[in-house]
Amino acid sequence: MMYILEKKKLDQTLKSWSEKYEVFAPQKVEGFSQFLPVEASGELALTDPHNTRYPPKALFMPQSEALLRYNRRLDRLEEVNTPPKPRLIFGIRPCDAAAVTLLDTVFNTEDNKDPFWAKRRDETILIGMGCVEPPQTCFCTTVGYGPFNTAGLDALVTELDDIFAVEVLSEKAQALFVDFPVASEDQQNQAQAVQTHAEESMAPAFDTTDLKQRLDLIFESDYWAEIADSCLGCGVCTFLCPTCFCFDIVDEVQRNERVRNWDTCMFRIYSQEASGHNPRPTRKERTRQRLMHKYSYWLGHIDKIGCTGCGRCVRYCPVGLDIRAMLRTASTLESERVNAG
Amino acid sequence: MSEIKVKLKTEIERLFSEDAVDVVIAFKKENAPLRPQPAFFKSVDELDNLEYNSLCQNNLANYLTRYPHDTLIGIVVRGCESRSVNALVVEKQHPRENLYLIGIPCQGIIDIKKIIRKTGEEVSDFSEDEDQVSVTVKGQKVTFTREELLHDSCLRCVHPNPINADVLLSDPLPEGDPAIARQAVEEFEAMDKDERYAWFQHEAERCIRCYACRESCPMCYCTECFVDHATPRWTESNISPAGTQAWHIIRAFHQAGRCTSCGACERACPMDIKMTYLTDKLNEDMQKVYQFEVGMDDETQPPFASFNLDDKKRFVV
Amino acid sequence: MPDNEHNPYHPMPMHILRAYYESNDRALKTFELAFDKHKDCDEFFRNYNPGQFCQLSIFGKGEAPFGVASAAWESEFVRFTVQKMGSFTQYIHTLKAGDPIGMRGPLGNGFPLEDWKGKNLVIIGGGCAFSTLYALTKHVQHPQNRPDFDQLVVIYGARNSGLCMYKHDIQSWYQREDMELHQAIDVPEEGWFHHVGYVPDVVKDVAPSPNNAVAVVCGPPIMTKFTLPALVELGFAPETIFTSLEKRMKCGVGKCGRCNIGSKYICKDGPVFSLAELQALPNDI
Repeated sequence: MMYILEKKKLDQTLKSWSEKYEVFAPQKVEGFSQFLPVEASGELALTDPHNTRYPPKALFMPQSEALLRYNRRLDRLEEVNTPPKPRLIFGIRPCDAAAVTLLDTVFNTEDNKDPFWAKRRDETILIGMGCVEPPQTCFCTTVGYGPFNTAGLDALVTELDDIFAVEVLSEKAQALFVDFPVASEDQQNQAQAVQTHAEESMAPAFDTTDLKQRLDLIFESDYWAEIADSCLGCGVCTFLCPTCFCFDIVDEVQRNERVRNWDTCMFRIYSQEASGHNPRPTRKERTRQRLMHKYSYWLGHIDKIGCTGCGRCVRYCPVGLDIRAMLRTASTLESERVNAG
Repeated sequence: MSEIKVKLKTEIERLFSEDAVDVVIAFKKENAPLRPQPAFFKSVDELDNLEYNSLCQNNLANYLTRYPHDTLIGIVVRGCESRSVNALVVEKQHPRENLYLIGIPCQGIIDIKKIIRKTGEEVSDFSEDEDQVSVTVKGQKVTFTREELLHDSCLRCVHPNPINADVLLSDPLPEGDPAIARQAVEEFEAMDKDERYAWFQHEAERCIRCYACRESCPMCYCTECFVDHATPRWTESNISPAGTQAWHIIRAFHQAGRCTSCGACERACPMDIKMTYLTDKLNEDMQKVYQFEVGMDDETQPPFASFNLDDKKRFVV
Repeated sequence: MPDNEHNPYHPMPMHILRAYYESNDRALKTFELAFDKHKDCDEFFRNYNPGQFCQLSIFGKGEAPFGVASAAWESEFVRFTVQKMGSFTQYIHTLKAGDPIGMRGPLGNGFPLEDWKGKNLVIIGGGCAFSTLYALTKHVQHPQNRPDFDQLVVIYGARNSGLCMYKHDIQSWYQREDMELHQAIDVPEEGWFHHVGYVPDVVKDVAPSPNNAVAVVCGPPIMTKFTLPALVELGFAPETIFTSLEKRMKCGVGKCGRCNIGSKYICKDGPVFSLAELQALPNDI
């Protein structure tokens, strides 16, 4: 069912939802957009060409989170399960929502379910904003998603001139929009046209046929050393990535907490063992791990690419490494070798 | 700019033909728009990808510490970069005789973020001359003055000319005005304690501890950084005021007398955090108290790494 | 585990029952841990299988994974042997009987004992990696379990006799008729009458038959590197050779991503893998 939300009624709508939910929306602060509660003083940035800089995965797994609180004598050990308030995330891009469903396969499992992730997930409604003019750095269509993909969403918004056309996808969202005007056939067609146009405007960034097999064949290739040359080994790509989920657990004594922090395979100490051995001693092994994890190991796990093409790693890498170019080169290396030999 | 690229290519070809270098560190053409990448050429066959323009935003001296000391390295250096190289030579991170510095007097690095803030990201083309920078956005050409787009550190640059380079590919440029550099520091000093702390807090709270600033900095080459220590635990890894503030202030102090104000840290930061105000102030202090400016030659020992009998002994009980 | 049911990162409260040095250089110390809560104990042993590990937890210091060195029948305690390596293990070594400690487990897949029923077991261990093989041997030796398996051969090497773990118990194994024991040390020592030489060479000397057999190898990387080919040469198929891997771990339940090799997590899909499985994984260890 498609409903119409007039742009001029947006503020009022968000406010009315705020009575029942904690509402988050992308807002521009310091020159770039991030998901903040709507009460924050930033300027709403719902229709920027691209997604927020800092990924909304933080709304489900905060970058730092206490897993346990303790006192040193261990006679008091506390759970930190504060029940989250019901939340509504308005304006999440399809790439970020699809990424949340990928992370569900890690955290929201039957076996050893992560209660921190699961509780937030259960209490959150995701209303997506499709990308009308996908930027050239995005490649969601290449990895099986798209600028108006509905994975993970309770509703999907398509921007048309002065209205938002909202396609309701779940019961939770139906309850929110039930009193809104229903979209006319004309409006539905317009929305469809916008969506098709956006999708068709995105050229494939690399070939994903047999991607896992092609990458597995070149595991020992020197190409990984070549990429590692410019790579700084910082955490920008992994921290801004909506599908990266690695975390560290550390006891922070001055806080009396056992804390979970986002971690990155790009740091040397990530795999450093107490004996002194490090299975990934140089940047070559580490950059290889990043690419192989996303485009081979995830496929081995659940037959899905561990990337939703959000483009953040391309936009914010300090040395301009472009994962699409790396994959294009890496995945043709084997066929070159085969053709030459 | 394209003349310089031609001269650069010729110089690199000469170095390889004479077997004078094992690797040349320069820049190569971009994949992502507006992003030339650091490159590590090992033969003349790779030079088709060579790039040099004002979008080359990384401090190449950062890569020197990756190579064994016996590697013969040719490296493109602009003003601040050459000072970083000198600082690394003084700290014995690479012998000077195994370095060949290809000096290019610098007209400043364009801050990509400034372009994007003005035009959005759909930039398909870039061209520049001495005074102007043009980009093509959705088919339209948009032109700016260089000054509008230069990175803030470059606007304050005092030493655009490579120091101690083995060759210069263009004529030296006039030195910058130290009063302009000092102005930014004086503005910071004019804030009272609370205002300064509020500003510092405001910038540090966005930090996501990605350490892009550290990894892009030529002077941060410790194999184990203080933030990674578990015993003793110097700072917490949390995204919290304690964690992020400790990170920024301690890293700034570790740079005192070592930072060349290149601004690579700010350009690398994905959260657009300002941090050069800390190191610029510390560098001013080093000048005032010790009359020391880092990187002006490759011999003078930094004040915190040396001792002589004339040192003021007030701190010694 | 009831306490962990809701939070897989929440350790069970335990306390140290006994602590004693294993090696004469005091780098190896064995701890036997008892459960503070009876229901944790029941739940643990209901799920436990030799080859599994636990995350031992000390608040303020952190957590680290250790292979379980006891069999379920030994009593209601869980044994670990800890090598002093870094700041965490140094701290553990200071603990004594009565001290509190946390534990999460049992974690990992353990040895595939169901698949091994009816087979000859060749157990090969080196140095301090012998702990889970000790658990396995103890499990097999129990009269209720022994009939499930055919012959039992144990090869255990240490750098010198002082570094051999569980000496007292292992000495008694020479008297058993239901197994063959081959101990080895690197260089000759006065009073040592067993094998002298590196484990891979001892394996070649003992030459266990591959017929209806499985081999389990746990040891320092250098030992494993040469032992696995020695077994292949003796005719063991890769599906019948098993080893236990180690990597830096944090969550221990397959969520933090750290311990992966290819698409497998050592904490969840391992730590026990067959050589055949390893050969299908990238060289990332």
